[in-house]
Amino acid sequence: MRNFVIWVALAIALIVLPNLVSFSQQEVLVFLTINILVVASYRLLTLTGEWSLGHVVIMGVGAYASALVTKELGLWVPLGIIVGGLASALIALALSVPLFRMKGFYFLIGSFAAGEIIRLLWKRFRDPFGGAKGIKGIDPMPDFSIGIYQFDFFEPVSYFYFSAVVVALCLWILWRIEKSPVGLTFHAVHWQDKLAQASGVNLRRYRTMAFVIASGFAGIAGALLAHYIGTINPNSFDVEVMVFVLTWAIVGGTGTFYGPILGCVVLTILNEIVLRELGLEQTRPLIYGLILILSILFMPNGLESIVQKVTRRKDAK
Amino acid sequence: MFSNILKKDLSRRTFLKSTAATALSAGLPSIALAAGEPIKIGFLAPLTGATAAWGAPGLSGCEIWAEKVNAAGGIKIGDNSHMIEFVSYDNEYDPAKARTGATKLIREDGVKFVMMLGGDTWPGVQPVADRTGMLFSTLLPSDLSPETTTLLAPTEVHPIYLVTGVQWLAENKPELKTAVMCAQDDALGLPSVATYLAAFEAAGIEMQDEPLLFDPATTDFAPIVTRLLSTSPDIVCLDTCYSDYVHPICEQLFQQGYKGQIISATADFYDQLIAKTSKEFMEGFIFQFPDFDDPALNGDNINFDDANGFYEEYNKRFPGQWGAVSWEYAAIMQLWKAGAEKAGSVEPDAVLAAMKDDGKGKHAFGDADWWGTEMFGIDNALVGDWPVVVIENGKAVIKGFKSIPAWYEQHGDLLIKHMSAYDQMWNQRG
Repeated sequence: MRNFVIWVALAIALIVLPNLVSFSQQEVLVFLTINILVVASYRLLTLTGEWSLGHVVIMGVGAYASALVTKELGLWVPLGIIVGGLASALIALALSVPLFRMKGFYFLIGSFAAGEIIRLLWKRFRDPFGGAKGIKGIDPMPDFSIGIYQFDFFEPVSYFYFSAVVVALCLWILWRIEKSPVGLTFHAVHWQDKLAQASGVNLRRYRTMAFVIASGFAGIAGALLAHYIGTINPNSFDVEVMVFVLTWAIVGGTGTFYGPILGCVVLTILNEIVLRELGLEQTRPLIYGLILILSILFMPNGLESIVQKVTRRKDAK
Repeated sequence: MFSNILKKDLSRRTFLKSTAATALSAGLPSIALAAGEPIKIGFLAPLTGATAAWGAPGLSGCEIWAEKVNAAGGIKIGDNSHMIEFVSYDNEYDPAKARTGATKLIREDGVKFVMMLGGDTWPGVQPVADRTGMLFSTLLPSDLSPETTTLLAPTEVHPIYLVTGVQWLAENKPELKTAVMCAQDDALGLPSVATYLAAFEAAGIEMQDEPLLFDPATTDFAPIVTRLLSTSPDIVCLDTCYSDYVHPICEQLFQQGYKGQIISATADFYDQLIAKTSKEFMEGFIFQFPDFDDPALNGDNINFDDANGFYEEYNKRFPGQWGAVSWEYAAIMQLWKAGAEKAGSVEPDAVLAAMKDDGKGKHAFGDADWWGTEMFGIDNALVGDWPVVVIENGKAVIKGFKSIPAWYEQHGDLLIKHMSAYDQMWNQRG
């Protein structure tokens, strides 16, 4: 009953939230929601101990796939978003063949190289990917009405509701996967790989599974982004964006499900709202970098460690 | 959410009404301009990151321009005078952030006009422009298309003006017959490549190799320069490389012993380039963006008010930061001010109509025509003369003004051919 009340309160808060912030903050809220799915899916991969530098490019695969099937084939946008997720998962499956011959640092570099190859292909083939300029005029989500509410997807509030539902569903699936025997095996692959292998666990198969599932959800996030801003190009998914995902995960911490989400929320609010509101636009990279260094120095276990401390204290009382 | 309840259709008119209502309820400026109320202008460009050099110096220039205009009484709209105020948003050259910035500037800050760098960021903003009818400007006319009815390219006709540099080169150094080119593979680089190819072909200069396109993330230019120099060209063309590329490429050219001609769209912070290489190496470097202390900018043909004074003030406040765009956004503002005063209104539709009234405009480098139906599908680019600048004895000097329309009349077919080959014509983009 207590959990039910918490979930209902959270849902009400999410419905009310966009109406309490400014127009531009509503826009930030949309991108934050999408980025939460990116970073949460990234964590699933890190459960197996592998860190990829290609996750944002895989997200881009979903964006390109969804943009193309809706624009060129006229597929309904919600179906296009699902196709985007599937395309990312399929590309990840194909990439897993060479990539999982490597581990650790070599996998990290291999994933970066694979991502760059994909980005170069987008640039090289103007047909169908649009080359360096990418794809413009991507179909938006079609507006619709549910009787008491008219969804106009140009408006950030409408798109926030739509993306929040999609992301919440995806997070629930990711959560269920992590708590399932498969998720526990992911942990074992990371922390006790020799023991897991001795127990009959096929390490490579589980690493591939985590990579494919994480990529599928990243693809959905990419598709959500593409159908909101209406344009994508190879630079939207470059290594700079990947560095942001890494910092969200590192600053938030990857020990818990909520850690990277916390990192994403706190750093996005800091960078996109607080520092801008303080009129520090041109010095934002400097201040953002400084805060990152300080947080890593003084919170090596991430922001999640603060939450854990607080909840432990409460439990002790 | 609540504004959407029971709402069946949202037209541009109802959108503007709801925005005004929201602005009023939030205590923000209303759409109608009250007497003495400042006019807010949006500045939506990269202020940080690799492309910041084409945003931040422009904002500095605008602030100097605004101070001067405000000191002279501001902008006269009807019977009232209004001060000018700039509101900036750093879009980091990212279409998503540009969309957020456009929303903030229009719906929260109540700006009357938004200036952008354009390029990759424009497609993110276009839905906002379509929905609000806000007047935007870009430095990159390759953003123009028949759909972009409220987007103007009133100052920089990038990359078409590049033909003037090659034309001057061919006339003054006819012995140079071969060229190579490199460019970053992005929305700025590619149309520029097509333009230089057309200009070289028109001038009878032979390309020794295909243009070398490099990834915008490139930081090591040694292999690129080695490949460029492998055919011993007379001319190395740096296309529209960002200053973050122009500098290391020039350093590499210097280190690898190149002694030939260099031509580039820009040479931002060329004093630093000279310090990194040598005065002799940079001698004769051709580009397209003058220092505004040049005596040639005192001519009767120049429409930029007190160019020399503007340059002096800029250098006093921001020493060593003068760049290609330092004057450009201010020049756009000069055109917008004239349009608003002529219209007696700051509303986007009225100012746009006034600016394009007789098909002509007062471009910073001389009277010019609203042009571009063939190239961009819409005549929203202001095109006339453009200066050719050469570094002589460590200082940028205007060597002359060349007419872009005159070149286009003779060689327009070449430009269309190369633009088409790179899918850069308006009907090929997107």
